[in-house]
Amino acid sequence: MTYPTSSRPARILAAFALVASFLQPSPLAAQDGPAGITRPIVLPPFDSNRPVCARPAGLERVMAFAQDNGRKFMQGVAHGLALAAKDRGLEYRVAQADNEPARMVDQVRAFLDAKVGALVVAPVDPPSIAPLLKQVIWSGAYVGAVVPPPATTVLNAPQYLTGKVLADEAAAYIRTHLEGKAKVVLLTHDSLQFLAPRFVAMRDAFKDMPGVVIVADISPLTVDEAGGAAMMRTILLADPEIDVVLGADTVVLGALAALREAGKARPDQFLGGIDGEPAAVEEIKAGGPYKASVSLASPIFSYAMGQHAADWLEGKSIPQGMDILPRALTPNNIARYAADVADPAAVYNDPSRRDQYLRMYGNICYETRENFINFPWSSERR
Amino acid sequence: MPISSRVVINLTVVLLTVGLLALVGIIGMTVWLGEKARIYSEDATATRNTRVSAVELRAALQSAESSQRGYLLGGNEIYLAPYDSAKTQAVSQLQHLKSSLPAFPQIARVIERLSQVVGEKIDEMDRTIALKRELHDAEALAVFGGNRGKALMDEANVFLSSIIRTTDERLTSGLAQQRFNATWLRRISVIGGLVIILVVSGVILTIYRYTREVAQTRDEVQSLNATLEQRVKDRTVDLAQARDRAEVLLAEVNHRVANSLAMVSSLVRLQSRTMTDKVAQDALKETQARIDAIASVHKSLYSSGDARFVDFDEYLSSLLGNIETAMRDEGHGATLRCDLDALKLRPDMSVNLGVIATELVTNAFKYAYPNRSGEVRVRLTRLSGDQAELVVEDDGVGRGAGAPAKGTGLGTRIVNAMARTIGADVEYFARDPGYGAKLAFACPAQAFACPAQLA
Repeated sequence: MTYPTSSRPARILAAFALVASFLQPSPLAAQDGPAGITRPIVLPPFDSNRPVCARPAGLERVMAFAQDNGRKFMQGVAHGLALAAKDRGLEYRVAQADNEPARMVDQVRAFLDAKVGALVVAPVDPPSIAPLLKQVIWSGAYVGAVVPPPATTVLNAPQYLTGKVLADEAAAYIRTHLEGKAKVVLLTHDSLQFLAPRFVAMRDAFKDMPGVVIVADISPLTVDEAGGAAMMRTILLADPEIDVVLGADTVVLGALAALREAGKARPDQFLGGIDGEPAAVEEIKAGGPYKASVSLASPIFSYAMGQHAADWLEGKSIPQGMDILPRALTPNNIARYAADVADPAAVYNDPSRRDQYLRMYGNICYETRENFINFPWSSERR
Repeated sequence: MPISSRVVINLTVVLLTVGLLALVGIIGMTVWLGEKARIYSEDATATRNTRVSAVELRAALQSAESSQRGYLLGGNEIYLAPYDSAKTQAVSQLQHLKSSLPAFPQIARVIERLSQVVGEKIDEMDRTIALKRELHDAEALAVFGGNRGKALMDEANVFLSSIIRTTDERLTSGLAQQRFNATWLRRISVIGGLVIILVVSGVILTIYRYTREVAQTRDEVQSLNATLEQRVKDRTVDLAQARDRAEVLLAEVNHRVANSLAMVSSLVRLQSRTMTDKVAQDALKETQARIDAIASVHKSLYSSGDARFVDFDEYLSSLLGNIETAMRDEGHGATLRCDLDALKLRPDMSVNLGVIATELVTNAFKYAYPNRSGEVRVRLTRLSGDQAELVVEDDGVGRGAGAPAKGTGLGTRIVNAMARTIGADVEYFARDPGYGAKLAFACPAQAFACPAQLA
């Protein structure tokens, strides 16, 4: 599957805007607006019945996507946005920064100068892009952030819930297939502190299972397949018989390779990862030890963001925050999941299905845009 | 159902064998489980030592790490107070761990990697402390923030936790095995004890039943013996009374027979007196003599008190005395001389011999001394063995060669017939002078009752 990337005229326009920005200050940049909500708050559930407010004026009906890189996840985001733009009659533009913060700054400035009505951004370097994003908000445009603030709608992947979904799948498997007894390996990710709640959730899921022993709770030196394989080889020295391995998909795939290499891979093992990596999905379909992968359905949440952007431009109230609910892909539901991500519009238009993927919080519209979220919001913060 | 001594012995042997087997089973099980307990004890001690080393090593590393972090964050040397001893303890416990773990290839790789990790961890801690002491705080914190120390500690923890868990499982499984063994020992002891109790009870019951039955049998035998003696006594009395009645009856019969024969003899004598014919008169007299001979036997039987035997010598003496008297009354001048050995004979034998003796003596009186007196001798002699001999002889005229028989010849026929009846032969022999007859007859123990046999 391929997704549209930014068009050549857009890139030229963006380059022009970048040059112009150096030559003269932007009129909008000179106007400082409110800082938004900077102190952490707990957002109430989204109220879809809020009255309509004023429409933004002077903005183009354009949906722009400032993409950090071309990884699969972001391809899914782009796909959902494009579909939503098409469905709501918006022009869709995309600019990919290839992980270069300065390029992203330039691309966003260009969108600002072009008076786009909606911007979805996946920041390469959140601190460097934040001031510019506030200017876009002040211009009256919709700003959706994947994930760091500021934004009119902040996206959140609930890390604890993500870990819990995976660990619950593993726990259920241990109860039903392993008689409640298992030697578990947690391959953590020490270099990204914000992911720690995932592993807290996993430890919490197993702490009431007396037959479960966490034989290793350790971060691979590098969070990739090679790192996962190397760490698994070390763990197998200490404990040759492992029943469950949990972690990010990449490291768990490496662990699976090490198990196979040592002849210790068994069909009754439970290997589960997070991120919905294609290789992991293929392993799940193959029906081996890999039993689950927690996926964040990027086409679905991005389609919702596209719909929210269109609503914003029509003066409607939209959510301030949106949880991407993690879904555990298992052999039983993987076909259904593939159908959902292939047609995100159908999911969005069916509230019961939509609620399985998304949870929305707070309300904001053009007139109340000074209440944009400007702190690292998480629905899990209490 | 009564039990025999064979059943008692077999049952006792079987029960005692079962009891012995149960005892051997209990003892064997106890010895076997005791040996297993000893092996487990040694294994548990070694396992516990390994576990202690692993726990101590982990504690020492954690203590050293805590000390290092306290110093890095606070910069106060007091945090380093336990650091050196913790490092020494870690190295020492690592050595203990190496020596206590079995030398399997897998274990060797674990130890190798664990040693490497512990070494790196100590190096990392030493390096950061040294940087801090040299006031290179930023570099020290950079090393600390690189998470290498945590990663090394996590990895060491993987190995140490595995060792601790493995030793725990081994101790737990060993303990469970010991509990299982103890349970089985208890069960087997209880079962064996019950078997032995049952066996002993069975033996006691068997012996008790057997003893009781023996006692009952003895009592029954004693009771029967007591009854039997009374019954024998009663029976003996009955038999004695019956015998007495039979003897009385037999004596009465003999008496009546003797009387009847005497009556017949009197009738024959009366008849002979009426006869005018000398020959007929003599024939009747001879008949009377024969009847008297038979009657004398019966008289002897009822007067002797023993109906089974006749004192033949006494009977014969009395009979011959009567014959002599009768012959003298008829005018015959011979005298009778008897030489009789004591001899008891059955009545029928006595009758036959008495009739034969009567014929022979009567003939001798009549014909041996026609013109003079002489002697008729009768001898009854017991010979050797079971033989006896009756001889009648005289010194008279004898019987001339070829001379016809005197008288009717009836007497001779009677003698011969009766001699055959008793299985004897009459031998006649000539004397000089005189004539004799000899009758040898058997006196077998069953056919006759000789005095020697009756004694």
